Amino acid sequence: MDLFSGFTRIDRRLIYLLLTLFVILPFFVKFRIPQNIMPQTKNLFEFIENLNPTSEKAVLLSIDYTPQTMPECHPMALSLLTHCFKKKIPVIGVSFDPQAPGLAIEAFNWVANKINSIARSSSDSIIYGRDYVYLGWKSGRIAALLEMGEKISNVFPKDYYNNYTDSLSLMKKIKNYRDISIAIILAAADYPQEWLMYAQARHGLKLGAGLTAVMAPKYYPFLQTGQLSGMISGMKGAAEYENLLLRYGYTETTGKAEIGMNSQTLVHLLIIGLIIIGNVGYLATKKKDKKMFKGTQPSRQKGRIS
Amino acid sequence: MSPDPWIWLAAFLTMMVFSFLFRDNPFYKFAEHLFVGVANGYYIVFYWHQALKPNLFEPLKNGNLIYLIPLILGLLYFTRFIPRWSWLVRLPLGFMIGWGAGISIPANIQAFIFRQIEGTIVTPEILNSGWEGIWAVLIFIGVICTVIYFFFSTEHRGVLKYGARFGIIFIMLGFGASFGYTVMARVSLLIGRIQFLLGPWLGLIK
Repeated sequence: MDLFSGFTRIDRRLIYLLLTLFVILPFFVKFRIPQNIMPQTKNLFEFIENLNPTSEKAVLLSIDYTPQTMPECHPMALSLLTHCFKKKIPVIGVSFDPQAPGLAIEAFNWVANKINSIARSSSDSIIYGRDYVYLGWKSGRIAALLEMGEKISNVFPKDYYNNYTDSLSLMKKIKNYRDISIAIILAAADYPQEWLMYAQARHGLKLGAGLTAVMAPKYYPFLQTGQLSGMISGMKGAAEYENLLLRYGYTETTGKAEIGMNSQTLVHLLIIGLIIIGNVGYLATKKKDKKMFKGTQPSRQKGRIS
Repeated sequence: MSPDPWIWLAAFLTMMVFSFLFRDNPFYKFAEHLFVGVANGYYIVFYWHQALKPNLFEPLKNGNLIYLIPLILGLLYFTRFIPRWSWLVRLPLGFMIGWGAGISIPANIQAFIFRQIEGTIVTPEILNSGWEGIWAVLIFIGVICTVIYFFFSTEHRGVLKYGARFGIIFIMLGFGASFGYTVMARVSLLIGRIQFLLGPWLGLIK
């Protein structure tokens, strides 16, 4: 077997090994690959950046991702919550995916605890019920999305912790979609589509989305029409948002998505390299086969005729 | 290294799943079956405690007899298993299809058809806005050519032939973008698992 035919027969286990090495390398060898920030991420960031904390409108975060898609969507949730909490914009969390509540609680607690650990007074702190509320999971999401336009507490009479929703100080100000400045759907399935159909088309609610990379191409047309005010797509989008938070001074370090993007870039380079090697091998062996075939062609044809 | 036995269990299960990359083996099969079982168990318990109990059985217990209607409609789905009564399944199906169509058709037309057509139309204001105008024209041509490609009622000849061929380029660009994003998504999941193994389990990274 010569070199070129070897290129077309690389053992898949060797490829997996290389892939693993390229993923692990950036965690130990520190380097930074510059990220360009895509307009849709910037638009969502700027939308939240331009919100007025005194307007008494909240950001609604629909946390609908699953443990499988955590590496992409969880950094988005942490970044969005950090941004909102640091700007003192109230946040209401809901979920329509059965696997999401645990992850939502983890995200809310992590960000709130981080901010509270350096807070000096009650006004600096993030307090449940005053600054944020997590209403939990609800079945029958289409009916719920429609009903929330009338009254949120009709759909969620109690929050995740079994408190009566109307008894929470934040929920006394937030009745329905009119009191929501933007709803951001962090999803690993087609939930944003239903928000577009029932919450936006019917009630005119502004929407943003944080999606897994697989879903992102499907939602680009909604950005162009303005149906989505912004979008964070995949780990790259999450890393972009982390970068923006760092640039605007909301955090001192970037998060997991930024580190992950270094591995992502290396793996993409590896994949491109392997595609080139495979094609070179294929073209070279094809050329060689053609030559061999040309040499044997007359006798073969003869054989066929006889 | 983590002292938490749950982290160790998660790490071992992750390794068992990864072992499939070498070849199919009993460790992978065990992890796969365990996942399916746990996921189903989770869903059954979750739906009982979060959906059926609070939304149906508790109101019924409190004397809200109106909830008998959804209960009966739901139970009628099971008549499918009794040949003599199986025609009754049409009642909940008819209700669901009627409700579903009624609620989704207008919303679909409004959110996906009208708004997308609006987004494709090239207006004089967009044309005067430099690069945005050029992109708008390109999108318009792309949409028309892609639609031509999927127009099968007439043979692709003459203008239709060139339109369809140009449409293929846009379709391929779309597929390329989707494929690129899909690769990125899958690699992201691998990165997430590696971050878990190196971080919470082995403690080698923060």
